[in-house]
Amino acid sequence: MTSAAGEPPTHNTPAALALGFLTGAVIGVSLTAFISGCVTERAPLIIVGLVLPAVYGFLFFLSTLPRRAREAAVVPRTALAVIESREVVGGKTSDVPVRFELSVVPDDAPAFRVEIRQDINLVELPDYRARGVVVVEYPPDRPWNTRIVKRPTPEWEERAVVARVDSVPGPAMKSDSPEGCAGGLLTLLGLLLGAAAVLLLFRADLFDSYEGENALSRRPSVSSSSSTTAVTSAMGTVTLGPGQSMLDEGELRKAVESLTQGANKPRALTVVVQDRLLTVVFAPIGVESAGFDPRSLPYDRVPGLVEEARTGVGSPQSWQLAADGVTGSLTLRVVVTGDGGTGTLEADGQGKVLRRSGS
Amino acid sequence: MGWDEFLVLWCAVWGAVALVGYGMSLAGVTKAQRTVRLTGRIERVREPRHGGSHKGGISVVVSYRDPASGQEVTVTNDGERGEMITVAWEGREIGVSHPRGRPHAYRFSNSPEEPGRGLFWPGFALFLVYVGLVVLVAVDQGWPWALIGFGGPWAVFAAAHLPGTIRAKHDRLARLAAMDTVQGRVVAVLKDVSVDQDDGHTWTTITPVVSFTTRAGTVVTAHCTSHLADPANSYGRDVTVHHTPADPADFTLDRAAQQRSEGQDVTFNVLVIVVLAATAVAGVVFL
Repeated sequence: MTSAAGEPPTHNTPAALALGFLTGAVIGVSLTAFISGCVTERAPLIIVGLVLPAVYGFLFFLSTLPRRAREAAVVPRTALAVIESREVVGGKTSDVPVRFELSVVPDDAPAFRVEIRQDINLVELPDYRARGVVVVEYPPDRPWNTRIVKRPTPEWEERAVVARVDSVPGPAMKSDSPEGCAGGLLTLLGLLLGAAAVLLLFRADLFDSYEGENALSRRPSVSSSSSTTAVTSAMGTVTLGPGQSMLDEGELRKAVESLTQGANKPRALTVVVQDRLLTVVFAPIGVESAGFDPRSLPYDRVPGLVEEARTGVGSPQSWQLAADGVTGSLTLRVVVTGDGGTGTLEADGQGKVLRRSGS
Repeated sequence: MGWDEFLVLWCAVWGAVALVGYGMSLAGVTKAQRTVRLTGRIERVREPRHGGSHKGGISVVVSYRDPASGQEVTVTNDGERGEMITVAWEGREIGVSHPRGRPHAYRFSNSPEEPGRGLFWPGFALFLVYVGLVVLVAVDQGWPWALIGFGGPWAVFAAAHLPGTIRAKHDRLARLAAMDTVQGRVVAVLKDVSVDQDDGHTWTTITPVVSFTTRAGTVVTAHCTSHLADPANSYGRDVTVHHTPADPADFTLDRAAQQRSEGQDVTFNVLVIVVLAATAVAGVVFL
């Protein structure tokens, strides 16, 4: 076989492997950044997740532009070829992939032998028998990209019918060198490393939110979807986001539970609730006798108690509920301030009003 | 970087892309402007083989005059060659185009085309700027602005197209009424089977091929995918074909059904206007 062209490309060159690794890393980084950004609600991470693959794709497009332009400028050469062998390599479809070994005999260039794969329709398969003459087309600089012309021009069609084409000796060059598993493994490695890098860089944001929601943390922590939670061994606070109120149905119970979740059920000395703020002062660990279980508060009664205390204070401006259980029996005190004065109310642990006063 | 900065950057980048595109169009260097557009003529129509594939369209031999050399060039629609030729007859004029200096990369279109100015991509970049601006306003001023920003302009755009759609309907009805009626025959039924790689589901596409002769004696071969009962078993069946005398590519097997369906475009256009206008009004209400 003689040809002016170079060798067929292989999939395992260092450049191809590096590109596979880089592609894997970009996929890993962007995917993890996007998901992490959604979890932690950080816009920059989401943006990185979206922009990085776009920029990578654009750079890849730019870098391959000269090669593609060079290849597109090459005028393909048409020639006659004889089918040395033909093998259907599978397929349940009407177009089946067929492996051909061809002896290509161009008019004005050296003949060569090539092995190609091309989809052929089942109905047309009998037209491509071994020793049959076909018309082929190939780029002169890449003869391994030879393809059979299924619809030749009348001139070439007639030539194929009458021509006698001799076989070309020697090994056939292949158009599709098998891709090794090294490339796939490197891409996977790049993907995993990219994902790990993002997780490592933003581990604080990602995992702190988890701890803040699930355990009585020993250090201050912050989580936020619509509220901010801070918990230490001595006290915990929950601040709701704008537009929310502790008087909203279930909000107060949820806030208290977010502070008291965990294996050791702490007891509270004092619970103070304002419109968007909950503060719980915990009893020292190990002290079982003092304080009360903050989850035992009559949550359902709180809006009613605030409403009752509000009567006669005009347009209300702020309210506060303090639950105090240091001395044993639990007492709830509600203070509502309005433009018409201040209303106070005292209730027992079940939310039953004991005293009420207004000024 | 927050959403605001990202959206401003988005608009700036696509705005720059649009400017570059319009600049290239003015300079006459867009891909469309570097495309040589010629008129080719179908010299030979090869009859499709029964049971074969519809991919690649009807096999034709086309000739055109190369303006550079002045010679007649003969080509076929082998491989990826632009628009699929689904109606063919000897002597039919079709469009042949290729990038300047690369006649081997020729492509076909069903009708000869006027040279374009390559304004599609700059226009698309401008559309992305518009989307960015609407989202920016929605993020800053409240989500109802998204409804107003997307619903309002598109409702106006759709309303502007309504007269054209109505005119097209009337033209089409007039053409249907003036159609010639001739006898044809299903000369092949093409069958393509593909398999979904994920679930192994098999898809079969049946494409009957009809051949008919016009009153002027032109033999037309055409893919016919509608208004033919039981297409899989239609091989050899005689059919009645209605076609526009001047352009046999405009044909139908069921003129009445075609006439009934002509009103659908107008209905759809009106529906789109109503939905978009309602979206914009909802946005104003929620402000």
